[in-house]
Amino acid sequence: MAAKPPTTIQRRIVVAAGICVLAFTIIGLRLVDLALLKGGPANVGVIAQNSTVVRADIVDRNGRLLARDLPVYDLYARPQDFWNKADAARGLSQATGADETRLARAFAGKHNYVLVASQITPETRDKVMHLGLPGMEFQPSTKRFYPEGDASQVIGMTQAVSGGHGIAGIEKGLNAQLAAGKQARLSLDMRVQYALLHSLEATREKYSAKSAGGIVLNVNTGEILAMASQQDPKRADYNPLRNIMAADDYELGSVFKIFAFALALEDHRITFDTTFPVGSGFKIGKFTIHDAEHMPAVMAAKDILAESSNAGTAQIALLSGPDRQRAWLQSLGLLSSVRAEIPERARPLYPSNWGQVETATIGFGHGISVTPLAFATAAATIVNGGRRIQPTFLKQDGDRRGDQVLKPETSLKMRELLRYVVTNGTGKLADIPGYDVGGKTGSAQKNQHGRYIEHKLLTSFCAVFPVDNPRYLVFVMLDEPHGESAVMALAGHTAAPLAGDVIAHIAPMLEMPTSAAVPIPGKGNS
Amino acid sequence: MIARVLNFFFVGLAALSCLALYRVSEHTRVANMELSSVNRQIIQEKSTMNVLQAEWQRVANPGRIQKLAQSYLGMDDAPVMELSSFEMLPRRGENPLDSNPVQNASITMPSGNANLHFVVANRN
Repeated sequence: MAAKPPTTIQRRIVVAAGICVLAFTIIGLRLVDLALLKGGPANVGVIAQNSTVVRADIVDRNGRLLARDLPVYDLYARPQDFWNKADAARGLSQATGADETRLARAFAGKHNYVLVASQITPETRDKVMHLGLPGMEFQPSTKRFYPEGDASQVIGMTQAVSGGHGIAGIEKGLNAQLAAGKQARLSLDMRVQYALLHSLEATREKYSAKSAGGIVLNVNTGEILAMASQQDPKRADYNPLRNIMAADDYELGSVFKIFAFALALEDHRITFDTTFPVGSGFKIGKFTIHDAEHMPAVMAAKDILAESSNAGTAQIALLSGPDRQRAWLQSLGLLSSVRAEIPERARPLYPSNWGQVETATIGFGHGISVTPLAFATAAATIVNGGRRIQPTFLKQDGDRRGDQVLKPETSLKMRELLRYVVTNGTGKLADIPGYDVGGKTGSAQKNQHGRYIEHKLLTSFCAVFPVDNPRYLVFVMLDEPHGESAVMALAGHTAAPLAGDVIAHIAPMLEMPTSAAVPIPGKGNS
Repeated sequence: MIARVLNFFFVGLAALSCLALYRVSEHTRVANMELSSVNRQIIQEKSTMNVLQAEWQRVANPGRIQKLAQSYLGMDDAPVMELSSFEMLPRRGENPLDSNPVQNASITMPSGNANLHFVVANRN
């Protein structure tokens, strides 16, 4: 018997059954995939991250926190929900510190929403929650928090609003990086920063100086380990956030002699023992350059630097001549503004007409104004073997010295001379036993309205240690220090001991080994 | 007959699949809720840690510790000075302390640093 062909209904049932089988097969496979193979678009293992990118932390070279975004809340109220507006205003005022009168007036008004307080901490939020008031809304926000104020001039700040851009210092210089959530590890060492700031503060108060500043720089990497500015709070133009070491130009005076001597040694124009007539001053054109203190009639070059004779240094600078001196200072980066990661900088001021007189005065640090940071960078090149460095506020690894600007032999001679200044010259009070400090003093009369004022000094000291193989440069500066006498206000009595104090504090922190004293330059060293 | 059996089978399969799907869906929903809760907790804990780290940094500030040490412990600002280094320490079997330079070693205080304190151990 031949099989009956399926009816239309049977065919439809088979087709429907087939579709069902197909559908359930797909569902079954998907279930197996989800249950066993963990497929699909949703990956349950991933921890949801905070979708909003917060501004990244700033830390020092040892990972110490310097700036961080912390959660805060903007607190809003819906006054129409309050049972008693006066009680609500009182309670909120006590919890948040907001002005009660302002709140009461705002709650009585027609506004649907009233800002009670902005950027309240989670602790304050808990206090508000405990009030049990209806109609409170907390808008999450962030606030930039700086746990330590010791490096405020370098770190800078952001706008006060949540997520605000940097407006000064590192916050502005590295704004793009920080806003993208990438942490900035600075070269600053907050232990060194505190030691520098503490010494500056004590010395500024001791000598009633208008301001004080300091830099600690690694001469091989260009890393700035500390940079601080201290101002007298009684000053009319007091601005605690002003970074005078990077943003202000100064005529630094005799510390600048380092460059005149380095150039003369580089070009073999002098030796340590080359003598110059000094005692009666040095006449150039219609001007006569005198020294602040009595000097012998004739002095050797090394003693001219050690005793900081202007008349002697002017003669040494003139041996090089204006063109060579200008090119020399240019190669050391002193005739252009220094670029680091902070926006605070200043263009140097120097004469457009660079003649003989200018060469003589620039030799001993007058007639040219640079930032202390520019000076420290150039001085580091003089002592680090003669290679250019780029100052940086970011932590670096390894030697970052660049082009050779002066011969290594010249750099060695300069280090010997700087040590001689400390052992035999004006820098004696900067000597710290065991650390072989070399350095140079600077006592510059301040220029006001085109005239140099005799008893208004800018004293400074540039120290390097250990001088036989320098690792760190310390530059300190005091604006108008007042000593017991005019002599006691000079750099040898104010800035030099300040630099010594800084070194005594920071050298053990920087794990600097003590070493034997280096030979004092004498005959045969030149 | 076969069609009827198939029908019952597939209806049963459909019912079982629905139950299984519902069960998986419920598990997923509960797991998602737990995950969200844990994530919220993690974010909260991280936030708290961030606050605590910042707070710790503030209270551990050297300036603050120095003030506390001066006021409560009577400690003074005394810079540490390394009079020796690891490289200079005698090695086993060596006796450099017998050498004259070490025995005759002395230190001169610069007048500007009269507040430095030294502890010198007599090792002879």
